[in-house]
Amino acid sequence: MMKRHLKYRILLASAALFAAAWVCPAADRPAQSPPPAVLGAMQDELSRSMQALSVADPPAYFLSYTVSDRQLSEVSGSNSALLSSTEDRARWLEVQSRVGSYQVDDSHKLGDRPPSWTSPGTNVPIDDDIPVLRREIWRETDRQYRAAAQALIKVKTSEQVQVQTAEGAAPDFSSEQAHVSIGPRVEIHVDRKPWEERVRRYTAEFSKSPAVLNSIATFTALATNQYQVNTEGTKLAFGQIHYRLELFVQSKAPDGMDIERYSNFDWLDPKDAPDEKTVFDSIHELIKETEALDKAPLANPFAGPTLLTGRAAAVFFHEVFGHRAEGFRQKDIAEGQTFTSKVGEQILPGFISIKDDPTEASFNGQMLLGYYPFDDEGVVATNVQLVDHGMLKTFLMGRSPLVDVPHSNGHGRRQLGYVPVARQGNLIVSSTQTYPFAELRQKLIDLVKKQGQPYGLLIDDISGGFTFTGRGQPQAFQVTPLVVYRVFPDGRPDQLVRGVDIVGTPLVSLTKIVATGDKPEIFNGYCGAESGSVPVSAVAPAILISEMEFAKKETSTDRPPVLPPPAHDPDAKGQAQ
Amino acid sequence: VKKFSLIFLLAGFTAAAVAPAFAARAAGSKPAAAQAPVPATETDQTLHAMHDEMDRARTRLALAGVDKPFYVEYRLLDLDVRTVTASFGALVNSSTSRTRFMAVDVRVGNYHLDSSNFISEDGFQGFLGSTGEVGIDRDYNSLRQDLWLATDQAYKAAVTQMALKQSFLRSLTKPPEIDDFSQAQPLVRIDPRPDSDWSSRNWDEESREASAVLKDFPQLYGNRVNYYLIYATTYRMTSEGTTVRSTRHLAAIEAALDTQADDGMSLHNYYAVYRASPADLPDAATVSKALAGTAADLMALRSSPLLPDYTGPVLFDAPAAASTLAQVLEPSLSGARPPLAMTREFDSFIERFGGRSEWSGRVGTRVFPTSVSLFDDPTLQDFQSQPLLGGYDVDDEGVKSQRVDLVQNGILRDLLMSRRPGPDFSFSNGHGRSALLSDPHPLSSNLFLQSNDALKPGDMRKKFLDSCKGDGHEWCLEIKRMDNPALAAVSQTDFSEFVGSLGSGISNGDRAPLLVYKVYVADGHEELARGGFLEGLNMRSLRNILAVGDDPYVLTYMQNSQDGLSGTALGSFGSANGGIPGTMISPSLLLDDVEIRGFHGEPSRIPLDPAPPLK
Repeated sequence: MMKRHLKYRILLASAALFAAAWVCPAADRPAQSPPPAVLGAMQDELSRSMQALSVADPPAYFLSYTVSDRQLSEVSGSNSALLSSTEDRARWLEVQSRVGSYQVDDSHKLGDRPPSWTSPGTNVPIDDDIPVLRREIWRETDRQYRAAAQALIKVKTSEQVQVQTAEGAAPDFSSEQAHVSIGPRVEIHVDRKPWEERVRRYTAEFSKSPAVLNSIATFTALATNQYQVNTEGTKLAFGQIHYRLELFVQSKAPDGMDIERYSNFDWLDPKDAPDEKTVFDSIHELIKETEALDKAPLANPFAGPTLLTGRAAAVFFHEVFGHRAEGFRQKDIAEGQTFTSKVGEQILPGFISIKDDPTEASFNGQMLLGYYPFDDEGVVATNVQLVDHGMLKTFLMGRSPLVDVPHSNGHGRRQLGYVPVARQGNLIVSSTQTYPFAELRQKLIDLVKKQGQPYGLLIDDISGGFTFTGRGQPQAFQVTPLVVYRVFPDGRPDQLVRGVDIVGTPLVSLTKIVATGDKPEIFNGYCGAESGSVPVSAVAPAILISEMEFAKKETSTDRPPVLPPPAHDPDAKGQAQ
Repeated sequence: VKKFSLIFLLAGFTAAAVAPAFAARAAGSKPAAAQAPVPATETDQTLHAMHDEMDRARTRLALAGVDKPFYVEYRLLDLDVRTVTASFGALVNSSTSRTRFMAVDVRVGNYHLDSSNFISEDGFQGFLGSTGEVGIDRDYNSLRQDLWLATDQAYKAAVTQMALKQSFLRSLTKPPEIDDFSQAQPLVRIDPRPDSDWSSRNWDEESREASAVLKDFPQLYGNRVNYYLIYATTYRMTSEGTTVRSTRHLAAIEAALDTQADDGMSLHNYYAVYRASPADLPDAATVSKALAGTAADLMALRSSPLLPDYTGPVLFDAPAAASTLAQVLEPSLSGARPPLAMTREFDSFIERFGGRSEWSGRVGTRVFPTSVSLFDDPTLQDFQSQPLLGGYDVDDEGVKSQRVDLVQNGILRDLLMSRRPGPDFSFSNGHGRSALLSDPHPLSSNLFLQSNDALKPGDMRKKFLDSCKGDGHEWCLEIKRMDNPALAAVSQTDFSEFVGSLGSGISNGDRAPLLVYKVYVADGHEELARGGFLEGLNMRSLRNILAVGDDPYVLTYMQNSQDGLSGTALGSFGSANGGIPGTMISPSLLLDDVEIRGFHGEPSRIPLDPAPPLK
């Protein structure tokens, strides 16, 4: 009857073309630069608008302007040919106009009506023509003020009939301290020609394997300069640069199961681009895994001891814990609210602590993709201790407050075009009960023997999953392990299997962690959720779980192609090129 | 290959300078690509790759226990597009993109009953699909790989679709007897591939220069001046033996301007110019002058009084008549049967946008006054020395274009046909058209309405005022320009709002005028008025056209290819950004008894603070 809005989030490691990427060479930035003309125009128009709108009916109590100036170069190849090579520059203006009060405003959630996750905006000139920019801002301010005024009428008229929940008493919007920071403008200068040659070469290498049905290699360079002003006094100008190379291959097992392998490289400085050997090593590894997975036997449903390597564990924490620690979910009665009432309680083994720290640009010398200086609501990014020795301390917060957490901790994030909500940045898991990997592996075998299992599982790579946190959905999560081995107690070599899905309930699996590795590993990727795709990192050591539950992955009804690949067709007559 | 499901890319087509004609090869069942007259120096391997993969598909593609393909079709679109947008003299965006898309169609069954023409909710869920973005190198190896996978997916989809269709047909008491697909003469024709030319002019600077004049209009809220320069090469190969490479280019400037009247009514205006190639576009000074005129009209509209409700004679100036006819006629021109749909949703969708034909099944009856004729001619290059951009040599199903005499002396004689047969006619007459490799369906190209009893402008006006006087009116209405919300909307949201505000009205004949004048009977003076809709203006209104002028106007417009809008009454509201070019050539028209509903809505409020200065 009631159609539920399916909430899902994917730890997307694939190309998010229009996603903003916030990674910045931040270390040695000059303290303050002169404010750019764009910011000046925004400030002038903000003051003028607020003067008029603060005394209007209904009065606006908060206005903010954001201009995202993005310069994007993208070169993509597929199956040995160039797919596209483009350069683009655009400025996107977003105006937030809030009417009512911090306590109840136009954004107030009404009953079962699904909230709108997308945020309006408009392209504005890339020329620094100040009067034209001010005209666009004026126009957009009027549009958004009107929309807010209309929305507030709906809020007012339905307020009486609202079911009041505990978190329903929380204000709609938090007031925050003003922050002024003017950084230098960042720019990229990309010669696309060499990359065009590279993506052709990379995908041609993939095509040598008959198992690879389709391959894509994509190089992206993105420079974003963000300008933001609001009526609380915040005034920001900051830039971030991010380069990325992604490799993606698709295959099909004989029974039709889709096999996908992916790897990516991220860097901040052109000199740190991966060299050819590194990329080709990665290509060969992906081919090897693809061919092995094609031939690997199907996994059976299984519940037993499982060892996740660091990167796999990092994704696991991101999906199972991280999303449930996002503050806005605690407010929504449609959400499962797994942790809402658990602050101060033990939710994990005492040896595990978790923080989300977007202020760190790197970890042990490796870059962290979830770094940003300010969140998308103009709040300074802060390090948030979420779990201290197993105990839940607080939530990740944007500017949608909870009764007990009245302020943002700088985690309001979004992809351009979406409304910011609390999201993860760099989720970092640490442990005081660590073992070298070999010992952890031995502990897995010990558990297998103790439980009388035929084998345990070792998960080496894990990717995109769905986390259903909605109340109408089972409180379960599903992440997709991509590379899974059976580890036998009798010393036989590990056996690669395919078609595994993790199932189970999050609380239970988290409490069953019995030991961790001693080397944290980093997963950099794009996470898709309500506010779009945002760059994130997750850092975790390997974890050993005494019992984890697995189901068989749904296989496709689409069998492998009827004919052999054209380049590997033994019956083809004189067609080779 | 990259999967694409939503078609949002730029495309536009216009007939290129006629390429050297290649004699069509005699019909045969063998594909002829390898023997096609591709110059020896040609680096474009597209047709070669298509030929070799087609050969495998024709001879070896088969799943055990089900039909082999009876028809395989490869289409590929190569786009080279330059887009520039400016506003008030400032550059908003400037980009160039080169992309290639393929679409593979495989059908099982036979010409009478095949796997096409069927809409169902289920279907084959493949891992890649039969369409996608492919490499831009025009190379052999990558395209073969992509075609191989797409063909495989298309074949599996066809097999699934056929099974679903057959079980649906068994549930009908009377299954349709019309064929699914008509035979057509295979065609071989290779146009030379042009190099894109847009370095000769500084388009960024021109767009700035042209739009800067709008700063002289402080009451103008917003505007977008868009330049689209489009080169498209289309490849087509079928298992019937058709091999075509055709090239088309189009250059366009489209500008949207908007404001609000003091009472809050939202108002807009537009400017559009279409040419066959970038070099033909008017220079910045010319565009600037035209934009100033467009803005001045909008400002006049802003301060004009509201249009009252009205019923009586209306004089449509030729540009307004052409735009109105494009909206009213298009849905009824198609003679193709609609596809079978398992759900009613498809039908109601078509209905809502005014896509229902009023002419199907009425061939031989009178639809216009006996002096009026209507024909569509894609083979014409120009008319009275004005270029006609709606033409083409080969349609999007590889069928040679031809003139169709739709209405002769008021009697409906023919309909536009693609290769999808219909209740009145069975064979294509070269009007299967599509944008961006979507499903081709019958659309007009260069559509002419003519009368053998045309009146000179002075006589036309006299007749208008006479009939006005005869009805006892103090004034009557003259429409100089119809609205085109697709061009006039500064944002996509504005267009959606317009479509929403029309609601089901469009299917009842609601049409939006833009520049409407009260013409006073006493002294013939004119007064501009704003707001209002024409109501119930449909095919029936055209049966009794009071008078036709002798002042034909060539309206170039773009069929909107979004969301299946093309061919509906809303279909003539398109943009060069993804549209299919068409022209409507019509003189001025005098209609009796037209109903106009004035503005009755609630105007929105005006901005609370005045606009900041533009200079």
